[in-house]
Amino acid sequence: MGEAAAALRAELRGLVAGHVPADFLGAFTDDPADLEVAQRFCRLLAGRGLLCLAWPEEFGGRGASAWEQTVVREEMWAHHEPRGAQYMGVNWVGPAIMRHGTAEQRRVHLPPIARGEVTWCQGFSEPDAGSDLASLRTAARRVGDGWRVSGQKIWTSYATMAQWCFLLARTSRGEKKQHGITVFLVPMSARGIEVRPIRSMMGPHHLNEVFFDELRVSEADVLGRVDEGWRVVQEVLAYERVGIARYARCERLLLAAPPALGGQWEVLRAELRGRWARMLVHCRRARLLAYRVVSLQSVGRVTPSDSAAYRIAVTRLDQDSAEVLMEIVAFASPNGGEQARRFHSEVEDHWRYSQASTVASGSIEMQRILLARALLATGERR
Amino acid sequence: MNIELSEEAAEFGRLGLQALEAAGGDELVRLAEQEPARRESLVAPVLGELGAWELDPRGDAGELEAAAALCRSAGYWAAPYPVAERLSRPADLDVDGLVVVAGSAPAAAVADLDLRWAAVTVNGCRSLAVPRPPVAPPRASAFVTGLDLEPVDGDGAQDAALGLVLPCWTLLGMLDRAIDLTRSHVLVREQFGQSLAAFQGVQFQLADAEVERSGIEVLARYALWSIQAGNAEALDDALALRLAAVEAAETVFRAAHQLHGAMGFCDEAPLSWLSRYSQPLRRLPLGRSATLDQLTDRLGRRGLTGLFSDPLGTNSLSAAS
Repeated sequence: MGEAAAALRAELRGLVAGHVPADFLGAFTDDPADLEVAQRFCRLLAGRGLLCLAWPEEFGGRGASAWEQTVVREEMWAHHEPRGAQYMGVNWVGPAIMRHGTAEQRRVHLPPIARGEVTWCQGFSEPDAGSDLASLRTAARRVGDGWRVSGQKIWTSYATMAQWCFLLARTSRGEKKQHGITVFLVPMSARGIEVRPIRSMMGPHHLNEVFFDELRVSEADVLGRVDEGWRVVQEVLAYERVGIARYARCERLLLAAPPALGGQWEVLRAELRGRWARMLVHCRRARLLAYRVVSLQSVGRVTPSDSAAYRIAVTRLDQDSAEVLMEIVAFASPNGGEQARRFHSEVEDHWRYSQASTVASGSIEMQRILLARALLATGERR
Repeated sequence: MNIELSEEAAEFGRLGLQALEAAGGDELVRLAEQEPARRESLVAPVLGELGAWELDPRGDAGELEAAAALCRSAGYWAAPYPVAERLSRPADLDVDGLVVVAGSAPAAAVADLDLRWAAVTVNGCRSLAVPRPPVAPPRASAFVTGLDLEPVDGDGAQDAALGLVLPCWTLLGMLDRAIDLTRSHVLVREQFGQSLAAFQGVQFQLADAEVERSGIEVLARYALWSIQAGNAEALDDALALRLAAVEAAETVFRAAHQLHGAMGFCDEAPLSWLSRYSQPLRRLPLGRSATLDQLTDRLGRRGLTGLFSDPLGTNSLSAAS
């Protein structure tokens, strides 16, 4: 990665150490102070040009390399994503608007994202359209020179706190279900939108239902072309090819286990220490598979199967490492010191979140199908 | 480290693959099993013509990559010859090759060859090794035989790393082939009016196998780089690779056999030969449990070098060329 990436890593760790409390477990807890931490941290990153590091300079970024972006992804996820929900705006909403937005849409949306002031939610999944996203039924009906949107989204993260929604709605029905979908950029404060939180093991804010009842939208809210939103979605998903650097948190927690347990580490069962060592190997494997995707992406040679193999490896790692870590903390004394208490709390949080890793952002089944089909179709391997 | 091997090394590997195919491909291991005395003559001259035995993997980073690529090609055809072991030979001992051995019951797949061997344990204890006469034919032993050791010194930590890593490249080549064979089989074999490849249950097994294979590809590259860079953790990295490789081999070969059905057990199926001759690489010098024990003991409380280790892991990755 080179010296620039190493310096960036050191800078980010310094900022996290100085501005994120040691017991921070993400912005989306029951404690509103955590959200404030994330909002302050986003502004701090933005002020240093680190929030939109990867954006082109003309949109307020630094045009950073793919490797520097990787470092940001790793350091942020490893430390419980102190950017909060803003990462979505930075990672893919902003780039999608840069590519498909009108001059006015860029003017309205990009500066607040770059300043870390706005939260977006993703109006994609529906009760009957999860992995099969193109089956979505939320409909935008032509009325005058605009539309009225009615329907329901579900599993919508951050909908309670978001100011804007990147909404997919069906504007027509073509021969193929992928045709006739349009992207709308809609303010969550608009009349006709109701958000209902779903209590879950992942804490508040993560899962919501969003209901649209005759929501008025206009041509000015359309991103890209009417009926051609699927192409935008495909691009959005491509931005997420590498996705979350889950391996970074797994590795940080695994390496934190021996110091957190202190003298108890040596009396752990040898079999459990063996599973811990094995997970470290799997962390390295996932990290290297991610680096391969980044490397190939940077020279335009990445294939869907490269990213699918990584996604399968890293989501399994997330869950497997969580099981091992939960077993390790169960062995430790619950009356250990502050370090042990914090470690326990981080591990418990990691375990809960890891349950969703093979479901969220493209289920592991879809990744396996993608990988197998690519292999069967071409037989190509690196 | 570049996440891919150099183009020169990859090309050398391709030449090796073609040369072994031209020399008999799948037939090589069958012929060697029938006539064990032909082990040497079937493979060594073919690779010798490419300059394999003049490679200097310990002295030149590029030639180490070429050696790794050649081991992978040898694995692809299950070439019945200890290519990785010969390419691991130590420069300071008058021998033809190096094998890594376990402390107890040292053995290696070096029967029926007239070669001089050095052996090294994971702890770096080096010996001269003399193969005993094989007690079983290759059909049952896959050329594994016991070794008599004569201790030399304890300077073999780097020898152990190289001696563990290159055979993993051979095993990687076998996994490449097992996936290729399985892919071909499920595309042509039909049941219930459609190819096996159309069944999601089949696709999932193939995908899981491919994830394991591709994971070994990147770990093998990392462990090779660690040797090239002279890292103090090269042996940890070699053991980490070996652990992942033997685990991957279980998954890949199980899926390959399952998806081949009964055909996969037949002598006419290359998978059957590949599977049997993968055994020495998977069990020696350390099987899955023993490799994990060694790795766990070495890692202690500090873990593997990485993003959060002390010192930090590599930041020197560069883009694919």
